[in-house]
Amino acid sequence: MGYVAVKGGSEAINNAKLLVEFYRLRDNTPAVTIDQLRSQFRLAIDKIMGEGSFYTPEYAALALKQVEGDVLEAAFIMRAYRATLSRKYYSEIVSTEDMFVQRRISSSFRDIPGGQILGPTRDYTLRMLDTSLADEKDEDIRTFLREFKKSAGDVSLNEIKSFSKVIDILRAQGLLKGVGNNEDTRVLDVTREAIKFPVPRSARLQMLARAETGGLMALGYSSMRGHGSVHPTVGELRVGLVEVKVKSSSGKVRYIGKIKVTEAEMISKAATKRGKSTPYYAIGYGLCFGQNETKAICMGILDRAMRIPGNDSPANDQEFVLYHTEGIEAMGFTNHLKLPHYVTFQSGLNNLRNAVKRQHGQGEQEELKTTVEQISDDLI
Amino acid sequence: MNMDYILVEGDLTRIKNFVGTIEEKYTITISKPPSTCLTMIRAHDSVECQEFYLGEALTTETEVIIDDMAGSGICLGDEPERAYCIAVIDALMQLNDDCYPLIRDFLTEEGKKIREKELKEQSQTLKTKVDFKLMEEA
Repeated sequence: MGYVAVKGGSEAINNAKLLVEFYRLRDNTPAVTIDQLRSQFRLAIDKIMGEGSFYTPEYAALALKQVEGDVLEAAFIMRAYRATLSRKYYSEIVSTEDMFVQRRISSSFRDIPGGQILGPTRDYTLRMLDTSLADEKDEDIRTFLREFKKSAGDVSLNEIKSFSKVIDILRAQGLLKGVGNNEDTRVLDVTREAIKFPVPRSARLQMLARAETGGLMALGYSSMRGHGSVHPTVGELRVGLVEVKVKSSSGKVRYIGKIKVTEAEMISKAATKRGKSTPYYAIGYGLCFGQNETKAICMGILDRAMRIPGNDSPANDQEFVLYHTEGIEAMGFTNHLKLPHYVTFQSGLNNLRNAVKRQHGQGEQEELKTTVEQISDDLI
Repeated sequence: MNMDYILVEGDLTRIKNFVGTIEEKYTITISKPPSTCLTMIRAHDSVECQEFYLGEALTTETEVIIDDMAGSGICLGDEPERAYCIAVIDALMQLNDDCYPLIRDFLTEEGKKIREKELKEQSQTLKTKVDFKLMEEA
């Protein structure tokens, strides 16, 4: 189907631009600062960076402000901005084992080496509207911070603790292995190369890491409900900071900062033939920018689901999962429906009118034929 | 704790003040002004070690020359001032002249502050360590 461009409307478009700005500011409230957004809307910022596939809390906050809080639209802006910069470095592989852990839990084992650390979570709080926040004052924030710091007491640690992986318990017992599929292990970059199905696992993981959280959750949930039969257990979910190092032009490895990531290792049983091979566990792997646990968990589920042979369920079908969880493209395509389609629609409308005419014409001819036959019968 | 770690994680105002006190003694040429670029973050899964690209991170880089010694500064974010300070100290550390002990002392002090802050944060985190009990144990 061809598209025909339209022209004109610049004045209306410019006025619409002004009007949307007026709607953003019409109540004449104090300007929201980037620092406020970055600090108090951290989970929205994390989602923007994850879906925008671009780690930059300050710019993500700016984008969130620009689009009045629409996280996916902000991620779209991040992707577009990212395209204006050149890629100068490839980091060393980040080590989640050496993560500065802020949270790590396991739902597979109760006692894990180093312990379960709830960290910053609302998992065990009631989802009730906190009306007291409506009157929160700057002084309240200062008081809370003062009290919180005081409650920390003396620091008993002498050095930063790192935590071994929970799945090491299973690995040490020989119960955890790779899925064992013969797969393409090339490291493909989906931002540089077009993909062809079946895609290498590296590309699947990259696409899942930049996918839209809601899309991943819908398909991950479908698998857990039985459409794909992957209902895993959280081997370990950890959130924290990992170090980023790059090789400089002189060849020296340089530390350039830390990024926050969420990692999920989802354990499920690998399919083996009863009596013919020893059963074992395998993991589905989830890793994404920021603290976004739903995303990392669903990424782990779908990583595992897409490795199950056959496309009998949406979650097992690479093309279905990867194309339909790509939020920016999905949003772009959905929203293109709002753009002028006058010519294509008119063409369809003409075809429909002609079809209706033909149908009516046929009907009239059939009616005439029946009348003639009736007259003939009467004459006979 | 290495130089880069301290200068990336340290307090920018203190670092800028320190660099301000020593840069007067040198002629510093900015051979590559601070500019932003991208770093692709490489990761791998924890069982099969399948490498993949996690996404890109905003990065600032710059280069300076001090007494024929090149220094480079690279850090995450849009941080031209920090990148410049890293580049200056990188060059001076390699020059290894009279300023070296000053820089070393500054880095040691700043490193202690960073470590203290990190230990405090981890202590707070460890206070959320949970010991779930099974119902029959309660």
